[in-house]
Amino acid sequence: MLSRVADSLYWLGRYVERAENLARIVEVTRREDLESFRHDPSDSLWKPVLFATCVQEEDKELETPDDPAHFITLDRKNPASIANCIAGARENARVVRDQISEEMWLELNSIHLFLRSDAAERSFHDDPDGLFRRIIRFSIIFQGLTQSTILQDEGWHFSRLGKFIERADKTSRILDTLTFRTGEPSAMALLAVLRSCSGFTAFRSEYRDDNSFRNVASFLFFSVNFPRSIRFCLRRINEALLEISGTSDGFFTNEAERLTGRTLAQINFTDVDQLFKAGLHQSVDELQQNLNDIGQCIFENYVLLPSELRDVVRTEGLQHSLLQQHRQKQQ
Amino acid sequence: MQLKVYHRTEYHYHAPVYDSINEVKLSPRDANGQVCKSCIVSVVPPVKLNPYIDLNGNRAHHFEIPEPHQRLVIEARMRMETAATIKIEDLPYGVEMSSLRELGKRDDCRPFLQSSPYVEVNPEVWREAIDMMDESSDVFQTSYAIMATIFKEYKYDPGATVVTTHANEVVKKRQGVCQDFAHAMVALCRSLTIPARYVSGYFFDATRDNSLRGSEATHAWVEVFVEGHGWIGLDPTNNKVVDDTYIVLATGRDYTDVAPVSGSYYGGGTSKLKVHVAVRRVR
Amino acid sequence: MRLGRDLERVGLDGGAGVDGGPETDDVRRHRDQAVVFISGSVIERDADSHGLRLCCRIQTSANKNQERSGIPEWSASVTAFVWHGVCIEFGHPMFTDYATDGFFDEMFSAKGGQAFPHYAKIRDQIGSMSDEQLREKQRHLDASFLEQGVTFTVYGDGDHGTERIFPFDPLPRVIPADEWQVIEDGLTQRIIALNLFLNDIYHEGKIIKDGIVPEEVVKTAAHYRPEMVGVDVPQNIYMHICGSDLIRDDEGNYLVLEDNGRCPSGASYVLENREAMKRAFPKLYQSLGVRPVGDYPALLRKTLEFLSPRQAGMPVCVLLTPGLYNSAYFEHSFLAKQMGIEIVEGRDLVAVDGYVYMRTTRGLVQVDVIYRRIDDDFLDPTVFRKDSLLGVPGIMEAYLKGNVVLANALGTGVADDKVTYAYVPDMIKYYLDQDPILNNVPTFLGWRKKDRNHMLENLENLVVKAANESGGYGMLMGPSSTKAERAEFAEKIRENPRNYVAQPVVSLSRHPTICPEGIEGRHVDLRPFVLCGEDIEIIPGGLTRVALNKGSLVVNSSQGGGSKDTWVL
Repeated sequence: MLSRVADSLYWLGRYVERAENLARIVEVTRREDLESFRHDPSDSLWKPVLFATCVQEEDKELETPDDPAHFITLDRKNPASIANCIAGARENARVVRDQISEEMWLELNSIHLFLRSDAAERSFHDDPDGLFRRIIRFSIIFQGLTQSTILQDEGWHFSRLGKFIERADKTSRILDTLTFRTGEPSAMALLAVLRSCSGFTAFRSEYRDDNSFRNVASFLFFSVNFPRSIRFCLRRINEALLEISGTSDGFFTNEAERLTGRTLAQINFTDVDQLFKAGLHQSVDELQQNLNDIGQCIFENYVLLPSELRDVVRTEGLQHSLLQQHRQKQQ
Repeated sequence: MQLKVYHRTEYHYHAPVYDSINEVKLSPRDANGQVCKSCIVSVVPPVKLNPYIDLNGNRAHHFEIPEPHQRLVIEARMRMETAATIKIEDLPYGVEMSSLRELGKRDDCRPFLQSSPYVEVNPEVWREAIDMMDESSDVFQTSYAIMATIFKEYKYDPGATVVTTHANEVVKKRQGVCQDFAHAMVALCRSLTIPARYVSGYFFDATRDNSLRGSEATHAWVEVFVEGHGWIGLDPTNNKVVDDTYIVLATGRDYTDVAPVSGSYYGGGTSKLKVHVAVRRVR
Repeated sequence: MRLGRDLERVGLDGGAGVDGGPETDDVRRHRDQAVVFISGSVIERDADSHGLRLCCRIQTSANKNQERSGIPEWSASVTAFVWHGVCIEFGHPMFTDYATDGFFDEMFSAKGGQAFPHYAKIRDQIGSMSDEQLREKQRHLDASFLEQGVTFTVYGDGDHGTERIFPFDPLPRVIPADEWQVIEDGLTQRIIALNLFLNDIYHEGKIIKDGIVPEEVVKTAAHYRPEMVGVDVPQNIYMHICGSDLIRDDEGNYLVLEDNGRCPSGASYVLENREAMKRAFPKLYQSLGVRPVGDYPALLRKTLEFLSPRQAGMPVCVLLTPGLYNSAYFEHSFLAKQMGIEIVEGRDLVAVDGYVYMRTTRGLVQVDVIYRRIDDDFLDPTVFRKDSLLGVPGIMEAYLKGNVVLANALGTGVADDKVTYAYVPDMIKYYLDQDPILNNVPTFLGWRKKDRNHMLENLENLVVKAANESGGYGMLMGPSSTKAERAEFAEKIRENPRNYVAQPVVSLSRHPTICPEGIEGRHVDLRPFVLCGEDIEIIPGGLTRVALNKGSLVVNSSQGGGSKDTWVL
């Protein structure tokens, strides 16, 4: 398939997943915030969330906006807001409109128009839970449609790649919020993290009442069956890559596959003790770097021209502009 | 019947040729029950087509290609409305062979009683014709008998003859394709003083199993003159009285007069000829 | 209760159908029909007036004297509408007030007002529908177009653009078989002549040397491409797809208004309109035996594949589009999908070493045939417009080497130029030794002496325009001009004859169209699509465009035009 189309499907999957994850996080954090007794802004629950979800230039202290929930959800000036993620998804869907089903387009178009409208603002003030639920429901429907209405060929695998890379990344960031402050995270914080990943019920069935930092980290990193765990996501990423290139499991034909295989193997053969020994934050950092590299390798392998042609002068301009575009989306 | 014809003649020259001068006879005229609704003749490389009517009343075009070229494509696309001039219940019997003597004086018959480049009226041919005619003294019956005999006894074999094969050889060897059968029949008829002319054209194979021969190429048959009825078409290759499935392109003494495409050029090297004919019925 | 009273007046009871019911005075008086028998009735609440509407089938007796007894002889069965029991309309109510206003009408003959035989079934079926039913049909059709996404995009400022449906009128245009046969022959003749002309002017130029077409007309044409001189194109075909616009004069003769040989658009609407009409009027469609148009994409693909330079294996064909922001993008993506070929933008292609490739996830895939919907100027920034972002650098090199084919070829714009248009009859005469089967709109060229004299003598009846596109010399609308204006123009023509061309005012034919006020005549034209590949194929029918605004002759979608389905029998 056309590289440009593969790229767009990847980002479509990624943006929709991102929007859903953001909606979940904001919904949970908002609710926790309401119930918290603290009113000290410097100690707000939002700081780590903002840290996890927003664009941030290194070494710059992030200022907490007045209404962080609104900032993350609807603010058009925030390039990483839900509204802008949906806009980005829609832009990519437009490019590949002939590849996706009409129903998918209509769903996406309609949530996009809604989020830009005054009705969304009103909903945010009057019935925020309803707003978040609507966004999450859109994502579920969209993913269902993706599963059932488009051809499950290469294009479909690219959109899955985007989805699971995004999901693994977000899960790790949410987990990382627990390392934001020094000291052991509170029971409430742990609960918030689990809820943000919609993992509370699943966690309980695996770990019962043993709500410890260790267990939560273990669950989110290593759970085999929980669909938002990092391990689960990495396995899907691996599968998708292998389907695209038609390679068997255990082998690799490009750098993306090699990195994925290696990262997955690391997760398969590490346990939570190793994780904490190396330091949770460091482990998460390393994972995120790997995910970034995997994303970059996918781009280089499937979208950019083969390496022999990078030297051709004529095409340099094209390559450069594509790279630019990609870097913007990376955030 | 409404018929559509696409006829394409393509020459490939291995080395460029030049100063090519050509004549094509690819435009049917309205006659004998057929009406030409439209006929487009086109040539590549593009040339100015110069029309003229030849001595036999056929519509022809002349064109020249002075510049070097390696490919010559001539296409004819036509839409015809045909009607059978002869009804099966009303075949033109009743004209005696004895009346043929008078026809030699007519201008429109004389050329078709004499020898021509491909056809010679000679004693051997005459003997063959006498055998074929049985005891009939009827012009149409005799002509029909000759046609039927050729169909039955001559072998249809594309590889047996070449474009320059003379009627004498065909009568002797009894094999060939539609061009040869037509030449033979013309020779045989003329030897019995039946005016006969050579016809080039197309026909539509309406049979389900495409059993008729010559429908994928230009076809040749014969017209004999039956006084009081005019020129009657007979197809020795398929043993048919010509009906509304036939389209007449041109008539003449023999192939020389009616060749669909003929010409000359300067240049060495070999050439390859491809001909494609498709006759379709319009609903 | 109103219901009872209404029913009383037409002599029915209770809403059930009554066969052979008694007649009423009201009914009798109307149109002097003898006896009316009412059978089968449906009572609906009329949404607009909150009254009651009785819809029933009314059959009239041929014999005036025959009354309720026995089995009457039914004459034409008509459907009639009763509004509050007041009046009953017979016949074909939708067409009773239709006027041809002196224009040639597609459906109704100017003399006698009878519908042409090939429209009889339409008159009967659609003509006897109610206004409400017809508008309901129209609403359904519009909704289905929106759903399918049959739109074109209108771009405002900085917006993502609004998508609008290309307005569609449900009344089909019908062309009988024998008329179509002539159109087909005429278009075939024309495309052969145009292709020969293009071949000739880019090679020996015999038509110029023989003085038929002046050299400067060709060389100064805006779309003449000197790069193509001496270049041999596959199968010697330059124009693979042509859309020639046809109109009918006031006697009903078909005339060619212009040839569109660059990127004619509208084929996708032809296909979508047909699908919509099949859903809306299935029985009518079937009963007329309309010739299908659905194989256009397959034929187009066959035409493209025929051109491929590749010796072995399946040819790779793509459709090159300017992209999403082009108003015809819907058509591009629709056709690509229907044909089963990839749709690409300039940035998806790359030219290397004289070959063109597609950038895919499997690496570079060589492309053989490009169905390009981008103008010549924007194709290759290294050769033509340097600022073009839509093209592919180096594609011209590959094209001139014969490694990739462009459909339509480069440089076909010469043949659809306003001025060369006037010479098409001469081309047909020269290359084919024939008179045109379809005539041009008479066009007079300032630099031809006979034409010039005619122009000067007939300014009040002609529209005089600038000969070349860069224009700037103004235009004269003869019939609405003043004597002084004409004198001024005559002077201009004498001074600079080669700057002017003239045509008589063209009247287009009209066709019944659903308008806010009812069914009225609106001007239409016809764009059939001609494919020139291994053989010449023409889609039966094509796009009938209709100028929706009252009295307007402008049929373009961007200026108030719509379309109709075209049915060739």
